[in-house]
Amino acid sequence: MQQILYLIQKEFRQVFRDPSMLFIIFFAPIVQTTVLGLAITVDVKNIQTVITDYDNSTASLAIRRKFKNNPYFSVSGYVESPVQLREKMDGWGAQLAIVIPSHFERDLVRSQQPAIQVIVDGVDGNSAGIALGYALGVLSDYTIDVAMANPALAFSARRIPLVAPLARMWYNLDLESKNYMVPGLIAVLLTMVSLFLSSMGLVREKELGTLEQLMVTPIKTWQLILGKVSPFLILGFLGLAMMLLVAFVVFQLKVAGSLVLLFGLSALFLLTTLGLGILVSTLAHTQQQAMFISWFFMVFLVFMSGFLFPIKNMPHWVQLLTYLNPMRYFIIILREIFLKGSSLKFLLNEIFALVLFASTILTLSSLRFQKRVS
Amino acid sequence: MKFAPSNQPYDTGNFAVFTKNLEKQFGSFTAVKHVNLAVEQGEIFGFLGANGAGKTTAIRMLCGLLLPTSGSGTVAGFDVWRESEKIKQNIGYMSQKFSLYNDLTLAENVEFYGGVYGLNRKTIKEKRHELLDSLGLTASAGRLTRDMPLGYKQRLALGCALLHNPKIIFLDEPTAGVDPEARRNFWELIHELADKGKTVFVTTHYMDEAEYCNRVSIMYQGEIVALGSPQSLRHEYKKASMADVFIKLVDK
Ligand SMILES: Nc1ncnc2c1ncn2[C@@H]1O[C@H](COP(=O)(O)OP(=O)(O)OP(=O)(O)O)[C@@H](O)[C@H]1O
Ligand SMILES: [Mg+2]
Repeated sequence: MQQILYLIQKEFRQVFRDPSMLFIIFFAPIVQTTVLGLAITVDVKNIQTVITDYDNSTASLAIRRKFKNNPYFSVSGYVESPVQLREKMDGWGAQLAIVIPSHFERDLVRSQQPAIQVIVDGVDGNSAGIALGYALGVLSDYTIDVAMANPALAFSARRIPLVAPLARMWYNLDLESKNYMVPGLIAVLLTMVSLFLSSMGLVREKELGTLEQLMVTPIKTWQLILGKVSPFLILGFLGLAMMLLVAFVVFQLKVAGSLVLLFGLSALFLLTTLGLGILVSTLAHTQQQAMFISWFFMVFLVFMSGFLFPIKNMPHWVQLLTYLNPMRYFIIILREIFLKGSSLKFLLNEIFALVLFASTILTLSSLRFQKRVS
Repeated sequence: MKFAPSNQPYDTGNFAVFTKNLEKQFGSFTAVKHVNLAVEQGEIFGFLGANGAGKTTAIRMLCGLLLPTSGSGTVAGFDVWRESEKIKQNIGYMSQKFSLYNDLTLAENVEFYGGVYGLNRKTIKEKRHELLDSLGLTASAGRLTRDMPLGYKQRLALGCALLHNPKIIFLDEPTAGVDPEARRNFWELIHELADKGKTVFVTTHYMDEAEYCNRVSIMYQGEIVALGSPQSLRHEYKKASMADVFIKLVDK
């Protein structure tokens, strides 16, 4: 045990003496969360919208007005036919179309439950989902207006938003994507920092020759690994704290759930990525190789996590593969804790998956990590 | 010569280092070929050879860092195949690459290695004072290791490798790149260790340093081509210096 403490002490001394390490741990998370957070959340303002109104009634005008007055939509025009609508959307002139059928008002009054069609350009899955969510929000709003004005029509108006709202929009009440994206971004940055720190940290000692020196001491492999992982776990926490600070201050986010739970489960995830870093370091002889191998893993971890591209939109076999991605679970955990305030018992599946990953990867890396030179 | 006869029973307890046909191959390349050694306790044993002769590979096998391809060996009585962790408890080692942390201070390096060797806090503190004092480095204890001259660093590294009081110490080119004056100082330290009964196994490619050893082996392309005391080798090959002996052997 004492050996591990000396390893940790040494690691901290080195980190706090190295300006580039301090940059990676404190400054980089702040800058990256801010800049990337702003960059990936602006895409949902000014959704280009066209409206096809076959009814031209008081009711349809009310709906048109609602979209026009909503700051998230920029109504670029009204088209007459399905063909025109298609052209407009194919030519990138609109991302969203609202189609109000003829006899809309008449059917509404006759309790025939008319529906309004919402068409979204699904090329960009995330912003499409968000745009759809906004549109449904506006239509629900209209439904409520109708019901308030005339309770007898409440039933008839209930099918106006044809598409069932996506579940996640319910928890994104102010309809802002930052609530959704920033937790994901935190997961990505945390993965990156921890994976690179641990793989490079060990390979650096390999390059310098100090690792060979350590391998000739009576220290046990698990002590050496623990002595390497624990300081980076603590540094990962510091990085996480920095990113949360940005989430609070710059993005005005609140964590709905427990911060203790958030840090606890982050530790679980960090054990996985740090273990992966050690595994990488057993494969690499130079820091450059370690960097390449880490990137190889990073790309899969990030793009198959559901951070940028919803997993539901992926081919089936890719969807199955994402179950092997620890980051997938961590992103779910972060979003749940951030947005829904989910407690431990709602996250048991994800926690179970992470425990499995952390223990497997740490075991694997201890087995591969030999107290020998290759 | 103290070559172990090949039919000698495998009782090696009295030798600090004993090997029989120790061999290491990397792929099809044989870096160390059937090496037979018997190093006595308390001996300063020089391991000479040009670059790439296989010195580091041999020393790594002895320190439990590398498994041999074939052959057998014991260090401090422990088997190099099966008991590498026991060997590690009983030896000190200075790798050919610089073994201290440049971004730690001198005192921190001593503390760290003391800690890793499992010494308790009090002992570490004592040893730190003692070591820095004996090297005249007390005033520099708080300086970063990278700012010190290599000669000092190597002597401190030796001190760190000795913190756990091992019986045998392996030094892989400890004087490479060190100026002549500092090299002499380093060899003085080695002699002090031998006087205390420690076995010193040291590699070098400086042939003049052979004279400081009780016995040397000369390695050439993975093989030991000569073994004996410097005097006997000079006598045998009728040369005035070990450098000439070496050239004669290698030119053959
Ligand atoms: N891991 C390895 N894989 C392949 N070849 C290796 C490996 N380690 C060493 N060698 C080769 O084995 C030979 C002996 O190397 P070694 O490092 O033991 O020599 P050395 O006598 O210590 O030389 P130097 O004076 O340069 O330190 C060299 O040709 C080297 O390239
Ligand atoms: Mg060498």
